[in-house]
Amino acid sequence: MFRVELLANSSSHATPGYTYVADRGFDPAKAAMAPALGRKRGIHNAGKGGDISSRRANAIIRHLAELDRENQRDVQIPVPARPAKEAGARVSRTKTTSNVRRILVSQKTFRNHLDDEEAAIAAGGGGLSIPVGAAAVAPVIPSRVKVVAAAAASRRSSTPASTAAARKKRPSAVAATTATPAPSQPETTDAEVEDDTAEPKHKLIKTEHDNDPLLRSYAPTMPSERIMDRLLAEPALSYNASRAGPPISTQLPRAFCCMCGYWGKIRCKSCHLRTCGLDCYKVHEDSRCGAFF
Amino acid sequence: MVTKSRTSTKAAKNSPDVPARHIPNKTFVIDNGAYTMKAGYACDPSSSPEEALSNCISIPNAIVKTRDNRIWTGTQIASHVTDWNEAVFRRPVEKGYIVNWEAEREIWDQTFFEEKATARNKQLRIAHPEETTLVLTEAPNNLPVLQRNTDEMVMEEWGFGGYVRCLGPTLNAWNEVQSLFGDPLNKTDSDIMPKDCLLVVDSGYSHTTVTPVYKGQPIQRAIRRLDVGGKLLTNYLKEIVSMRQYNMVDETYIMNEVKEAVCFVSNDFKSDMERTWKANRKREEAQSVVVDYVLPDPNAHKTGFMRPHDPLLHAKKKKGALSGLSAEVLSEDVLVLGNERFTVPELLFTPSDIGMQQAGIPDMILQSLSVLPPGLHAAFLANVLVVGGNSCIPGFMERLENDLRGIASSECVVRVRRAEDPFRFTWLGGSRLASNREELGKLAITRQEYQEYGSGWAGRRFAGMI
Repeated sequence: MFRVELLANSSSHATPGYTYVADRGFDPAKAAMAPALGRKRGIHNAGKGGDISSRRANAIIRHLAELDRENQRDVQIPVPARPAKEAGARVSRTKTTSNVRRILVSQKTFRNHLDDEEAAIAAGGGGLSIPVGAAAVAPVIPSRVKVVAAAAASRRSSTPASTAAARKKRPSAVAATTATPAPSQPETTDAEVEDDTAEPKHKLIKTEHDNDPLLRSYAPTMPSERIMDRLLAEPALSYNASRAGPPISTQLPRAFCCMCGYWGKIRCKSCHLRTCGLDCYKVHEDSRCGAFF
Repeated sequence: MVTKSRTSTKAAKNSPDVPARHIPNKTFVIDNGAYTMKAGYACDPSSSPEEALSNCISIPNAIVKTRDNRIWTGTQIASHVTDWNEAVFRRPVEKGYIVNWEAEREIWDQTFFEEKATARNKQLRIAHPEETTLVLTEAPNNLPVLQRNTDEMVMEEWGFGGYVRCLGPTLNAWNEVQSLFGDPLNKTDSDIMPKDCLLVVDSGYSHTTVTPVYKGQPIQRAIRRLDVGGKLLTNYLKEIVSMRQYNMVDETYIMNEVKEAVCFVSNDFKSDMERTWKANRKREEAQSVVVDYVLPDPNAHKTGFMRPHDPLLHAKKKKGALSGLSAEVLSEDVLVLGNERFTVPELLFTPSDIGMQQAGIPDMILQSLSVLPPGLHAAFLANVLVVGGNSCIPGFMERLENDLRGIASSECVVRVRRAEDPFRFTWLGGSRLASNREELGKLAITRQEYQEYGSGWAGRRFAGMI
C-alpha cells in the first residue's frame, strides 16, 4: 500500500536517517529560544574552537535582553484619562480617520514590527519594504568602486592607507616613518571643496621622499558627481543590515570577575563564571553558584 | 511678527513659478528622542545659535508612574515628580523609533496642543497646525511600517500644513560647524548651506549611530548602528551595583543620576583597573578613582551627590554614635564605586565585554567608511562630529579620537569634535534648515499633496525615491 521512495538529495552521501545541511552560523533569533535537546553537546564543545557554546550564547542574549528593558518589572502604565471638559473641547478638531484609529489601538512592540519586517523581506520584499542589502545596491556602483569596496571589506583596509598601499606597493616597514604628512593633509580635504572630479589622476601627497618612486604617496581622488548621486540615491538598509558587525581585532574578549569586576582569572568548575581570586571564588561558591551539573 | 513677514517675502520671491504649492512659513522642529524631545519654533536666520537655542525646550518623552501610583506626562514630570524612588517609565519611543502612538499622542497633545495659551506653554504651543510646517527627526534605518504610521499620525491626526521627516543626524550638517573644526568660513553669503562632508556619531539613549552626511544628505549604505546607548549603560550599572552592594533594580532614575555623576571613559583601562583593585584600595593612588555616592533621601528632601571615598566610613558607622559622626552621616546610604565608574561606559568602545558581537564606536566608524569610495575617507575622518548625551561622559572624546587615530590610516587627518550643545545640536540644525526656505521646500510635503497622494507617496518621497 505504501511505498518508500528515495528522493534525490543534493548530497551524495548514502547516509540513513539524516542528511547534511548547511550551517548558517549563529542565529540570534533561534538561539533566543531555549534549546531543549542536544544541550549538553553544545556545552561540551564549549571553548574548543574559540567559539562560544550555545549555552553561553543564550546567556548573553538573555542578559542583553535584560539590559534592554525600560523597567525591571513588567508594568502597565495606562495613558492618563483627560478631564471630560478638555476631551470634549478637542473633539471639534479631531475627526479621527481610520488610519489614526488603527495606529492608536495597535499595541505592537518594536519586536513585533521587526518580526513582521523580517518576514516580509524573507518573502521577497513584499509590502512596504524596499529591497535591501548590498546585493540590491551593488549594480548601481561603477565597477571601479565596487572592486575597491570589495577589497576594503576584507580587513582593516577600509582606510585609504591600505588601498593606497596596494596601489603603490610601499614597503610597510618604511611606511610608518615616511608617510605622516600632516601638513599636506589639507590638500586632500581641499580636494573635495574644489571638486576636481575631472582630474583622472590621483593627487600626489607631498613629502621629502617623492624622489623615490617607491615612496610616493597618492591620495585617492574624490568620486565624481555621478557616483555621489548614485550613492545618495540608494535606499536605506534594513534594521538588521545596518547593525555594526563584529570587531575587526582578533584578540579574545576580556573576562571579568563576576563578583568584584576585576580581571576574571579563574573559572568556576561548575558554572564557568569567572572570579578574580579565592576571596571572590569563596563567596561565589557559597552563595551565587547556581549550577547543578 | 518680524520673522514671519521677512521669510514670507523671501519664500514668495523664491517660488514664483509654483504658486499652488504653499509651505507654511512658521516652522516647528521636533527632535523626537527616546529620552527627551527637543522642540521649539525655528527662528530668524540672522539670529545667533544662542538665541535660537533659547527657543528649544527639552521635554521628557515619557509617562511616569511614581511610588504613590500617580501618573505624570511629559512636561509635568520635571515640575511634579520629587520622589524618584521606584518610579517606572513608559516610553513611546523604542529603540529610537516611535512605536507606541497611543502614548506619544498623549505626550504631544499635552505638550504642543493644549487648548489654552498660557505663559508656560507659549514657546511650545502649536495653535494652528495647518499653518505650521513640522520638521520631525527620526533615527536611521527605521522600519517602513513605523515611518508610515508616523506620517499618517502627523498628517491625519494633527494635519500640519507642511511636513518634513528626515534623519536626525543629517540635520547637524546644517549647523555652523566650520568654527568647531577651526576651518575658515568659505562662504560669506547669507545662504545657509550644509557642510560638504560630515561624519555624525550620535550616541543617545537607545543606540549609537554613525552617519556619513554628504551635502546634507545621508549616505544610506554606510550608516551603522551599535546597540549600546545610555539606557543599556544605566541598566548595566544598576545590575552591577545590585549584585555587589544594594539592591537597586527598581531605581532606574536614580542609577541614571549616579551614572551621570560618576562614570568616565578610561584612557588607560588596565592601569585604572589595577588602581581600583580591592587590595590596592587603601593606597593613595586608588583614592583618585574610587568615590562614594550618597544616595538621595526624598523624605529629608536631599539629593544624591558624589564625594571622595572614605575607606574608614564603614568601620566608623559600625561604632555608631561613639565615632562622633553626626546623625546625618549615620543615616545616609552610600554606594562605593570603583571599577564600575569606567567599566560601564567602556561598553561603548568594547561591547564584547558583555559578550556583544558588535564593534565599538571607532571600529564602527571604519566599518562605515569601508563601503564608501576611498576618495571620501579622508574628508569624513577629518570631520567627525559627535552629538548625543553619551558624549558628555568625561574622557569620551579623548578616547574616541585616540582610538580612531590608532586604527585610521596614518595619511589621514583625524579630527573628532563634540557639538557645543550635544543634546540640542540636531534641533539647532533643523532650525537652520528651516531658515533656508528653498531647501526646506525641496524636502517638505504639503497638506494638499498628502491629501491627494496619501501616505504611501509620502513615504517614498521622504525616502528620496520621487
